[in-house]
Amino acid sequence: MARLGMVIDLRRCVGCGNCALACKAENNTRTRAGGQSFNWADFIIKTEGKFPKVTQTVIPVSCNHCTDAPCVKACPVTPKAMYKTPEGITLHDNALCIGCRSCQMACPYSQVELTDASLSGETYSVISFNAREGDAQPQWTSTSVMLAGITSSAAETAKAAGAATPAMNQFEAGDVQPIRKAGIVEKCTFCYHRTSNGLQPACVEACPAKARIFGDQDDPNSEIAKVLKAEKSFRLQEKKGTKPNVHYVGKYSARV
Amino acid sequence: MKLTRRNFIQASAGSGGLLMLGMPVAAQPVTNAMALRKGKPAAAAKGEWVSTACQGCTQWCAIQIFVQDGRAVRVRGNPASKTNHGYVCPRGHLIPQQTYDPDRIKVPMKRTNAQKGRGIDPKFVPISWDEALDIVADKMMELRKNNEAHKLAYIRGRYSPTSTDLLYGTVPKIFGTTNYFSHSAICAEAEKMGPGLTQGFFGYRDYDLANTQCLVTWGTDPLASNREVPNTIHRFGEILARGTVIAVDPRLSNSAAKAHEWLPIKPGTDGALAGAIAHVLLTQGLWNKEFVGDFKDGKNLFVAGKTVDEAAFVEKETSGLVKWWNLELKDRTPAWAEKETLIPAAQTIRVARAMGKAAPKVAVWMGPGVAMNPRGTYAAMAVHALNGLVGSIDVEGGTLQSSSVPVGKFPSADAYVDDIAKAASKHKKIDGRGAKDMPAMMGAKPGSGVVTNNIANGMLKDPGAVKVLISTWSNFNFSCTDPSRWDKALTAVPFFVHLVTNASEMTQFADIVLPATHNTSEGFSIVTNMGNLHGYATIQQPVGKRLWDVKQEETEVVWLLAEKLKAKGFPNLFDYYASFKDPENGKTPTNEREFTEIAAKISSAPMWMPKEPLKGDKIEGWADFRKKGMYSGAKYSFKKGWGGRFNTATKKFEFFSETLKKGLTEHATKHQTTTDDILNVSGYVARGELAFVPHYEPPKRHGSVSEYPFTFIDYKSRLNREGRSQNLPWYQEFKKVDPGDVAWDDVLKMNPADGAKLKLKSGDTVRVTSMAGSIVTKLKLWEGVRPGTVAKCYGQGHWAYGRVAAKDYAKATPRGGNNNEILVDDYDRLSGATARNGGFTGVKIQKA
Repeated sequence: MARLGMVIDLRRCVGCGNCALACKAENNTRTRAGGQSFNWADFIIKTEGKFPKVTQTVIPVSCNHCTDAPCVKACPVTPKAMYKTPEGITLHDNALCIGCRSCQMACPYSQVELTDASLSGETYSVISFNAREGDAQPQWTSTSVMLAGITSSAAETAKAAGAATPAMNQFEAGDVQPIRKAGIVEKCTFCYHRTSNGLQPACVEACPAKARIFGDQDDPNSEIAKVLKAEKSFRLQEKKGTKPNVHYVGKYSARV
Repeated sequence: MKLTRRNFIQASAGSGGLLMLGMPVAAQPVTNAMALRKGKPAAAAKGEWVSTACQGCTQWCAIQIFVQDGRAVRVRGNPASKTNHGYVCPRGHLIPQQTYDPDRIKVPMKRTNAQKGRGIDPKFVPISWDEALDIVADKMMELRKNNEAHKLAYIRGRYSPTSTDLLYGTVPKIFGTTNYFSHSAICAEAEKMGPGLTQGFFGYRDYDLANTQCLVTWGTDPLASNREVPNTIHRFGEILARGTVIAVDPRLSNSAAKAHEWLPIKPGTDGALAGAIAHVLLTQGLWNKEFVGDFKDGKNLFVAGKTVDEAAFVEKETSGLVKWWNLELKDRTPAWAEKETLIPAAQTIRVARAMGKAAPKVAVWMGPGVAMNPRGTYAAMAVHALNGLVGSIDVEGGTLQSSSVPVGKFPSADAYVDDIAKAASKHKKIDGRGAKDMPAMMGAKPGSGVVTNNIANGMLKDPGAVKVLISTWSNFNFSCTDPSRWDKALTAVPFFVHLVTNASEMTQFADIVLPATHNTSEGFSIVTNMGNLHGYATIQQPVGKRLWDVKQEETEVVWLLAEKLKAKGFPNLFDYYASFKDPENGKTPTNEREFTEIAAKISSAPMWMPKEPLKGDKIEGWADFRKKGMYSGAKYSFKKGWGGRFNTATKKFEFFSETLKKGLTEHATKHQTTTDDILNVSGYVARGELAFVPHYEPPKRHGSVSEYPFTFIDYKSRLNREGRSQNLPWYQEFKKVDPGDVAWDDVLKMNPADGAKLKLKSGDTVRVTSMAGSIVTKLKLWEGVRPGTVAKCYGQGHWAYGRVAAKDYAKATPRGGNNNEILVDDYDRLSGATARNGGFTGVKIQKA
């Protein structure tokens, strides 16, 4: 049985944002609203020290697919909407979710409601909740127009393009729909629709720095296993005991 | 009872919203441990990767867009690219959002409010292409009839390097005007003076990052902008691991954040730091002997403060080293430089040694921060000359000239240029190039460089000079410093036609607006560039269905306009275009779409139907080229200019620029004066021979330190698709990936020590005022800037463009503030480039 995980090499990472943008494109995540970022991939950004001895650190973050996932434990429905796959992915069955947000509350890497601190990378959420009221993609259902007869509405654009969102990546859904409905949570799936078919997650594929390695930690011949064996690594909030499967190696700044 | 989605929702509905969130812990259902089961089968999206070209910055990457059911979905680099390795930078991922921006103009429009000005509603109404082009052609014909063809002006913004010959290269020539201009001089033109005046290469450099041992990013942040961003991101970690990375930047940039050494230089003093590094390299014997040469008897005579006999040193590939030492470098000690640059002498020495140790595998990557200021030519020379000293010019691991690919030329237009058009050449261009105080000597030829930002001044000085203005993919009322001048100039132009994708700031002054294709995803052309030791050409082609009634400005629109002009009695332009022949079958175009494709085929034919076999990629014809999407040429051959083959006056790498001396003397002679007089009126401090060597010129500053105590630092966002991506939610959402920045906001960064003095805190709204103007924006206290300086990213501050970019489009209220509003209209006059860096603008900060 595989134990899928990811290593992010912070020395290679340049904080460019490609991973997070590629994730949004791949998974059709909507635009921030109501304290929910809908960024399955995001960043912790810190500036430390005093001028001129100052450093900036960027840590790409996403669901850690914890082995002892508090979100799974907390999921109250039967069968659980949030569950572990045999490969170690923490997956979410959209159809079973009741939107109680217990998972979001239990996750040490998420906030129930993000404040402005998230706008500068101080906080983030790996689980977001689609409000019960309104559309799941409000950005593309708006019928308002900037210049009458000259520019289009978002809804008109989506209609002309022929999909719920014009650039929709219509993957074949399993448990997770390409666009999530109102009243349920959503999060990173390790791109289950891709990785269960031999492809790399979108964030890995899009990283120009090759800072991300995805694979089976239990396969001693895998790149991820070799890197984890060779290099000192750490995980976020290790002391919570959730056993994250996203690891970090290297230092972002050569000056620390 | 088991809790399921159905009974939970029933219960919620019944109780008027029973939510787990906020419920007391005791009331929550009991949960259990890990649930393990297989996921339901799922599969990746099905579609096709279509090759095209990104034009989000000037690298013009070969990319591919994933197309599903005619929709542009996702973006990657072209896997065949030797320049981007199959990756895009974050800009690329914004392409679908930009394509499907609901605020794009979908039909031509006409102004119905004669009154023009910022914040005045143009009252645009939709019209047909036929009507719009009739109006434009009538205005143009009126000029020809009145013998005023030269009163047509064309200014290009973003363009295709091949299709531009159909509009920029042809319309003014055949119609008859000298007033055609490129946007180039507001970008980074002064940079080119560094390599230009030392090694005769007036272009953007390439760098052999795969083999570089010491990378010096200077006045640029190539992890974010400038050139070959994906390649730099790809290589940066390896260079950090095996060598040294040094970042010279007054603010904590992305490169600076990761580098071994960060030199937060006082803005505008780059020439002093470069001089001190050169001083250390020479006094410590660290220069590269293979490139530069050595003392006859091998003893290093470079001793601080002492002149050296020119005869004592034998140069190899260079010229004028000892002159440079005697005129400039001998007194440029690190201790002296510390006073100017605020960089500790010890750090300067450490950095110089690291460069000397890695020589010649050093890439001094000089960028606009060094050059785009009122005395930038000399700073650019000083910084670039370090590449000469460490011998990194044209060698493995070093700093290279550009690579190119064979591009097909369009037929000559000469036969279509009539007497009226020929007569136009006697008229002077309105950008003031070549005036006594504007040498604009790109290519070392005085009066040859465009002075883009001076066009507005020229139009204001001579209000009758331009009666019809056409501009494409431009937004000078936003992108030029002191844009209020452009507001005034465009208010005065009787007839202005704008070809753009969005109702930008400049569009608000237009009489006719023609909606342009978003060319990365909808255009059709051949785009060429180079990087990572390869020249390349990439196709740009429609990747999905075109949603709106938009047309490509440089091909489809010029064809349709030429048709109109022919119908109204001026057939030359149309007859020229109609003479184009498909290189495969000799067919001539019968409509705008065929014309576009034939033009693209002509441009690219030498790569897919070469007369002789090429050394680069093998392409089997036009269809194969469209599919693969690109052609990469052979790998760069090193030492191009070595052996007396540099394109300079001496054919050597010139530390004493005979090339500059020749050009400047020519300019002075034309104006019947001395080079010293030219330097004086152009605002430089050097006189005599010092003006011909790389040297330090103290920064020019608009605004006294007492009245405007802070020095303003402008820089570029890694998400800027030039000035066009701010209307995209993803731009706003990830603005924080620019160090110190805040998502959905536009923050002025100030050192916390200054904040304490002024009793200002993060989140305060502040007014930033310079001699040019003022903006209101948010403050962020941040340790990434030096006390006494404030930094803000360029990009935000749109008062038009769309409903995300502007806070209120209808009321012309900006989101944040446009840096250009406070930057003073000034130039590096030797190049004609617009000043925007180097601390040339002082500002004061007040709580608003």
